[in-house]
Amino acid sequence: MIACCAEKTYAGTTIADLVSRGSVSRTTFYKLFTDRRDCFDAAVDLCIERIAATLAAASAGCDSPAEATRRATVAGLELLAAEPELALILGGDVLSVDPGLVDRYGRMLVPALQGMWTAAGEPPRKHSSPGIAFGRAQLLVFHEVAAGRAEQLPALVPDIVYLAIAPFAGHDEALRQARLAKGEPAVEAPV
Amino acid sequence: MSAPRPLPRGRHQLPREEVVRSQRLRLLTAAAEVCGERGYDATTVATIIAAAGVGRETFYELFEDRRACVLEAHQVLLDDLIARIQIAYAGPGEWVERCRATIAALLDWFAADPLGGRFLLLELPAVGPEFHARFQAGFDRLVAVIDAGLDPDLPQPEPLPASSLAVGAAIARVYGEVSAGRTEDLPALLPSLTYEVLVPFLGEDAARAAALAAVPQAG
Repeated sequence: MIACCAEKTYAGTTIADLVSRGSVSRTTFYKLFTDRRDCFDAAVDLCIERIAATLAAASAGCDSPAEATRRATVAGLELLAAEPELALILGGDVLSVDPGLVDRYGRMLVPALQGMWTAAGEPPRKHSSPGIAFGRAQLLVFHEVAAGRAEQLPALVPDIVYLAIAPFAGHDEALRQARLAKGEPAVEAPV
Repeated sequence: MSAPRPLPRGRHQLPREEVVRSQRLRLLTAAAEVCGERGYDATTVATIIAAAGVGRETFYELFEDRRACVLEAHQVLLDDLIARIQIAYAGPGEWVERCRATIAALLDWFAADPLGGRFLLLELPAVGPEFHARFQAGFDRLVAVIDAGLDPDLPQPEPLPASSLAVGAAIARVYGEVSAGRTEDLPALLPSLTYEVLVPFLGEDAARAAALAAVPQAG
């Protein structure tokens, strides 16, 4: 499903495409999923889990929320650069299939970011809306992927770092962290 | 957008190209409305021509299929939105005031046409893979408009692509409201969206001052 959506969008994907791509029979498909939409929802969950696991692994063990955010951003964008189909389904198909899903994964990610600042004893004062920052980040990523430039996603690191930090620590600190992120050597240059 | 009236039946004095123009416009308007109301899957040629009051034969003289008609309707609507935004952004006043006017124009545009807004933001992915290129092109056009009117004295928030972030904030916010069916309340978001758009350019304090100026004065 994830590969089919990347290629022809959810709208253009048929059960026939899915069973052929998945090398399973139609009968097996209907044992696993009630219909095309059910399979799509499961695929979306899978994408979200992959991204959430990557972010959590990258930010584990960091001292400061800013550093954790920077590392998670680098790892997340590298994952999407390597597997742009994750971004295509979350940033694109989801928008038309069920806007409620966008809310759902926004609600998973935003409290996780907020929690890092609260845990570090920073004041929970909000400087700007994390929800809008999340939407902005998603649009920037989707814009690159939709243009077929997924390999350039790591160049967005400073922008996404700014967006992820500004709601909690303010514009000046976010800008400082974005500049830091820009100056830092990439963890690994994508091949 | 409200549907243009069908032409009077029977003999009339209108030249042929005028008739075709009217039919084309009615079909495009109908495609946007039907698609915004029922979604792309339920938007058949039959529903479009019924809403437009145009015959099936005429439809196929003007468009290859429903996809072509819906894609052109989308383009027309996007052109209209961008034209409104350009007019507001080119208005009088300091850059911050022009930004506020632009955001107000955007919110009013979506509030005035709930079905058009749903169609513009929600239904394109259902048309197929051409959605990707069209999304990118539309986003780039909006960013280019904002870039072209930037105040040269504005401090550059290096390394941020502040114009992209401005467009991103506007789309993200409007998408959320439109998808939740809250289009009529959109104009009330002017102060908060002004703040969100301006923060990357100006920082919180200046953005807050600009947003407060957008709050309607209590009378």
